[in-house]
Amino acid sequence: MRFLKARPLSSSSLLLITSLLISLTANAADKIPKLNGHPDLSGIWQTTSAADYDLEPHSLRADAPPSAGIVEGGVIPYLPKALAQKKKNFENRLMDDPRLKGWTLGVPRGIYYPEPFQIFQRDRDITVFHQFGHSVRTIHTNNTQHPEDPNDWWFGDSRGHWEKDTLVVDVKHFNDGTWLDRAGNFHSDALHVVERWKLLDANTIEYKATIEDEKVFSRPWNISVILHRHREPNFQLIEDYRYTLEYDKYYPYPAESAPAKSSSTAAN
Amino acid sequence: MKTIFTSRYPLHAFIAGLLAIGSASAFAQEDRASFPKFERENYVYKVEQGKWTGPKLSDGQPDVQGQWSNTIGNHNNLVNPQGGGNRNNDKPRAPSRVVDPEDGQVPFQAWARELQKDYAKHLLDPTKPEYIEPLARCAPAGPSKSFMWHGYEIRQYPGYVVFLFDSGSRIIHLDKKPHLPENIKLWNGDSRGHWEGNTLIVDVTNNNSKSRFGRNGEFASENAQVAEKFIFDNNRERFTYRATYTDPSVYTRPWTLEIPNRRVEKFAEDGWNNQLGVAKHNGKELLLEPYEQICTENNGGFGGGAVKKTADNTSPKTTLTP
Repeated sequence: MRFLKARPLSSSSLLLITSLLISLTANAADKIPKLNGHPDLSGIWQTTSAADYDLEPHSLRADAPPSAGIVEGGVIPYLPKALAQKKKNFENRLMDDPRLKGWTLGVPRGIYYPEPFQIFQRDRDITVFHQFGHSVRTIHTNNTQHPEDPNDWWFGDSRGHWEKDTLVVDVKHFNDGTWLDRAGNFHSDALHVVERWKLLDANTIEYKATIEDEKVFSRPWNISVILHRHREPNFQLIEDYRYTLEYDKYYPYPAESAPAKSSSTAAN
Repeated sequence: MKTIFTSRYPLHAFIAGLLAIGSASAFAQEDRASFPKFERENYVYKVEQGKWTGPKLSDGQPDVQGQWSNTIGNHNNLVNPQGGGNRNNDKPRAPSRVVDPEDGQVPFQAWARELQKDYAKHLLDPTKPEYIEPLARCAPAGPSKSFMWHGYEIRQYPGYVVFLFDSGSRIIHLDKKPHLPENIKLWNGDSRGHWEGNTLIVDVTNNNSKSRFGRNGEFASENAQVAEKFIFDNNRERFTYRATYTDPSVYTRPWTLEIPNRRVEKFAEDGWNNQLGVAKHNGKELLLEPYEQICTENNGGFGGGAVKKTADNTSPKTTLTP
């Protein structure tokens, strides 16, 4: 049974494989679009993951599809008191999730929320434009630093730089108004996020984030998710100001005020 | 600095914001202290359509990026820009923003005029939910009113012009993609634009027209077609915004409004026309940057206090004052 025997690869086979690998890598690298010498992240992106339902591994339940989660190591390292709060949030998630009020999703949740977002890139900054809430976040890439004594912001304050082909973003100065997912995972205003954005090829971003919050977690923890480029013809963001849904029936005027056949009263 | 209007972090956030600006490098701070105050003007600086001789971006667009603001008033009053909201009888100090028809008024059909007057009467006494200004509930101000509100930013990219307003944001497509299906209605509409010399010409469809033109309550219906022109001066200091509204279900004829705008980076930060803070960095150059502008929380101060929060202070609900 000679063919079952493990045989060392011949040097020519090794060379072939190596050169194949190199050319594959080179092809992928060649295809990565560039802008001012850095990878160009411009485009409309969206996750296909179920991360927003619950970052941690979970079985099928009425409000979430099953998923292995995106937390490195599986479990978020809560401090005991915070874990109790998380459990409370989970119990009340169908009422208390800030997303239900249309509040800005924050960082990193906006990135893996299942709605598209568009990246606009310039040398000095990167604009992350979310369909949800049409909210806009600026990642400054002009070597500026976090303000020293700032407000607490929904998206925090983002300062980014390029480490080779990876955009590394330091985000802090958050408020505590957002959750990390629909399962009640949360943070305080001490949240600190370090993001790593890397184009794997022209149409795929690997997004990693380290999440740190000394008031809530016992140690920093990591998530990782893949983002896909929308390539459908004529795809575009459509504004989603869902916090206006509650009252938009009142505007612009009560329908009954308009003449029944408005065209009959229009100018000739 | 949107935080001054958010209800969860009201005054102390504003003060923290001021401190944030104060903590920037002494050089930059001193430098900026000499900036002139942004003054409203009682005349309308007009820019005519023509060639673009200023700098261009790599994709050929005129480079008009930066922070801008309207110059003659605010959103209180469309037709008397320096008059107060709800006070049409103030003596005009600046011409009406309505440049066509000549009388400076929106050519409403009679029933629509009655409705507008009714709104104006109740702005400070909102006994019904529809009297509360949508902007007071953090709704986007719509295509035109967005330019009468706080200062705003223009960012440009190949194929796009992006407007970042104090309430809401707009992406103008220069890519000739077709408009969205007609039945999709949006606060800021769906915008397609192209450049002709110094002028960005934008066709806005899919309007939900739920916003108003001012606190006096002028409005459109969701049938409105809006044709916009942004006519930029070649020195990039000024531009004229011109919008023509066609909506036979509300008006007797198409009408045009005009808003004069100027660049604000060289003026002192004032939290209204110019909301730029000083960036912290190691160099000596003065770098200005906008702070987050998010208004999703429903704020209670406007609308005559008619928008209230529930007891737990987390879930904004609309309730009426007794």
